Amino acid sequence: MRRLSLSNRLALLFAACTAVVSLFAGVLFSRASEAHFVELDQQLLDDKLIGLRRALDDIQAGDAEARLADELSRQADLSLRIISSDGQRMYDSSPSVPKDLPRKRGLSTVSDDGTDYRVLNAPLFLDKPDSPQLTLLLDITHHQHFLQRMQHLIWLTVGLSALATALLGAWAARSGLRPLLRMSAVASGVSAQSLNARLPEADMPPELAEMAHSFNAMLGRLDDSFQRLSAFSADIAHELRTPLSNLLTHTQVTLTRPRPLEDYREALHSNLEELQWMAQLVNDMLYLAKADHGLLMPKREPLDLAEEADVLLEFFAPLAEDARVKLSRDGHASMQGDRSMLRRALSNLLDNALRFTPAGGEVRVKIVEKPAGLSLTVENSGEGISEDLVPRLFDRFYRADPARREGSSEHAGLGLAITQSIIRAHGGQIRCESAQGWTRFIIELPRKD
Amino acid sequence: MKLLIVEDQPKTGQYLRQGLTEAGFNTELVADGTTGQQLALSGDYALLILDVMLPGRDGWQILQAVRGAGLDTPVLFLTARDAVEDRVHGLELGADDYLVKPFAFSELLARVRSLLRRGSATPQETSLQLADLRLDLIRRRVERNGQRIDLTAKEFALLEMLLRRQGEVLPKSLIASQVWDMNFDSDTNVIEVAIRRLRLKIDDDFPNKLIHTVRGMGYVLEERPA
Repeated sequence: MRRLSLSNRLALLFAACTAVVSLFAGVLFSRASEAHFVELDQQLLDDKLIGLRRALDDIQAGDAEARLADELSRQADLSLRIISSDGQRMYDSSPSVPKDLPRKRGLSTVSDDGTDYRVLNAPLFLDKPDSPQLTLLLDITHHQHFLQRMQHLIWLTVGLSALATALLGAWAARSGLRPLLRMSAVASGVSAQSLNARLPEADMPPELAEMAHSFNAMLGRLDDSFQRLSAFSADIAHELRTPLSNLLTHTQVTLTRPRPLEDYREALHSNLEELQWMAQLVNDMLYLAKADHGLLMPKREPLDLAEEADVLLEFFAPLAEDARVKLSRDGHASMQGDRSMLRRALSNLLDNALRFTPAGGEVRVKIVEKPAGLSLTVENSGEGISEDLVPRLFDRFYRADPARREGSSEHAGLGLAITQSIIRAHGGQIRCESAQGWTRFIIELPRKD
Repeated sequence: MKLLIVEDQPKTGQYLRQGLTEAGFNTELVADGTTGQQLALSGDYALLILDVMLPGRDGWQILQAVRGAGLDTPVLFLTARDAVEDRVHGLELGADDYLVKPFAFSELLARVRSLLRRGSATPQETSLQLADLRLDLIRRRVERNGQRIDLTAKEFALLEMLLRRQGEVLPKSLIASQVWDMNFDSDTNVIEVAIRRLRLKIDDDFPNKLIHTVRGMGYVLEERPA
């Protein structure tokens, strides 16, 4: 079944509301007018009753019937029946008086043969228990007709107003929902080619502004990822182009004429170096691709971070000694994580730090245990990284030192990106700060128990 | 020592066979899984090198058949798929080692030698020696030409590895893994520096050098004619 459109749904709801309200008002009005009529009739009949009692009181016989007829003739729509105390019908003012009438005292309404009567029963003599009963009948057919017409009018009003509000409501809903239509128009126009379309948030009604904001933010993230992805593909091609062209040129030049054996050996060695660099690049990219697809699944083994840091510092010790850089570690923490992956992440940070620390400088690993988790900082002294480069550090193929920008250097510029992927796979975050001669890479890992 | 290579890509297969044959192994190459499995089940081989994706029967199936027949021939997998499940799958089925393509031939050779050595019980040595270089495993001392040489613990471990596998080209990744327990690809030049420092102590003062660099492949400890 097709779902109703939002504007149709609103229009129908409007119509239903109007119908209920006007129906209620109509019923109330018709009840009130009916009660008013009853009140008027009661008053009239009470007055007549007094006149009739007086007429019947004055004359006990003789011209009683004539006096009665005279009294009754002043009110054409009034009839009278008198019933004796033993239930016998003594007098009917007109032959059209219905046979069966209610006997109970007071006012009631009776319908007979298309005519409606208001009936009032009262004793003729108030002080005698066996007094004959007077029954006054007032023809109220025209009242009833009026009430009926009014009821028809009410139903008509209910129907028409419901229809009118449905139509008006549909129009109102459609124009009220126009921002939504605009939103869906923008959404349907979004494709890989036009991720830069945005909703005008300022023009949106408050209810939709939040949604428009989220929508724009989503588009922004999508656009950003897409840009990165395109840039990444372009970068891959670019990174591979240099070694490939080296390989092609070198191999072709070597083969153009006969050479001494040593030259061939040299050519193959040179090719081997390019190939190893490319193999490393491909492996690193596969690792990152795996991370992007959420396939990096860290093991959860209990780790003593201080111990891990020490093992890594021992690994890097020869390099640090050669570069006359002091290595140190401070603090303890234990966590659950993947030893091999975390070693790789830290090794990239340490390798990076050592490369940018001048002779005589220092590289420190600081581990701090916190209630919500732990932080591990790798910091190195040195010139530092300029503020505007910091956000780009974790980008793939980004190299801070322009001297190593093009391929064929031993570093492809994927190390920090890999470190970030590993930390994220552990549910953590990594960021970089550079200030006052120190560059810090800060890893925050949540506690998982 | 007979090795079986089951690899359907002709170039890869040829180069593997050539490399392993030249390294002194008797090598047989087949390109499809069905023949590969028949040969593997004959039990004539000291080691199986299996590609995962093969026509006929894939590497996993061959491994299952081999283990199912009660053979404990070491199996080394070559895979282009670097998915964690693949590794787990292979190791669960009883594979002994795996290499992810692209890999370096020196790495493969080192792994093959490790696997073949695993089976044979090595006698408990108390010392290792090459030419006039002597390493005392019990007293943890190193001497060359009678001169005592002081090494750090890691330098000692590195030299021990080189001595145990003398004549073999050891790739940097294998050294990092065995000596420092760093089991990941790393483009750091720590190993180069460590070797250079070891050389400084072992080789620099002596005319015949023992540690040699094999360019693009790794390091080897051997006595070479001057």
